[in-house]
Amino acid sequence: MNAKTNPDSPGMSALEKVAWTEALVSLAALILVSVLIPFTGHHAASAFAVLGIVILSFWFIRKRGHTVIIDERDLEIAQKARQQGSEAAWGFLVLALIAIQIVPWSTHEAVFNKTTLNWLIWAQFAIFVGVKGIVGITLYRRQHHAA
Amino acid sequence: MPRKSEPTLRNRVKELRSAEVGMTQQSLADEVGVTRQTVVALETEGYTPSLALALRVAKVFGKTVDELFWLDE
Repeated sequence: MNAKTNPDSPGMSALEKVAWTEALVSLAALILVSVLIPFTGHHAASAFAVLGIVILSFWFIRKRGHTVIIDERDLEIAQKARQQGSEAAWGFLVLALIAIQIVPWSTHEAVFNKTTLNWLIWAQFAIFVGVKGIVGITLYRRQHHAA
Repeated sequence: MPRKSEPTLRNRVKELRSAEVGMTQQSLADEVGVTRQTVVALETEGYTPSLALALRVAKVFGKTVDELFWLDE
């Protein structure tokens, strides 16, 4: 039985689909970047542009007549997910900056260039989107399987 | 000192909706302005509703909030 015929199957709400999209797209971006690094070096960061696909998830939250698409529970989960995504991204940035300062091969001149900044910003964004998606999925699953 | 665990909010939404009123989850969801997934989460007691939502659900069934929701301590 699918979600439409089985009343006990919750199916997915619009924001849960968005959370899945965010998690999968960020995972795909991280895998793609990792695969490209040996071949293209620092140019592999361009593959983070795959994260742009997340914009397409707005399709899930488009208006459909008078149907409720997003309600208080979705907003609550989205807020928690955004907060944890943001904390993870900032945590990553701080740790990355500390690492840059203490790794033996780094020098002040070599480190703070455009390439490093580019990597840091893209990686921070990927972590934000990924963690936000994963936390969202986890919170939805936890509520659906609470019984 | 160990923290006291949060009490579970129990409810009779599923019982009232299906047995007494004979409503579908979707029609209850439309009535109170939430998604069907939220009604499912409410019925499985996985979601603690806001006071406003609890009042709206109670109004649909013609009950008071404390007839519908209680704390399992």
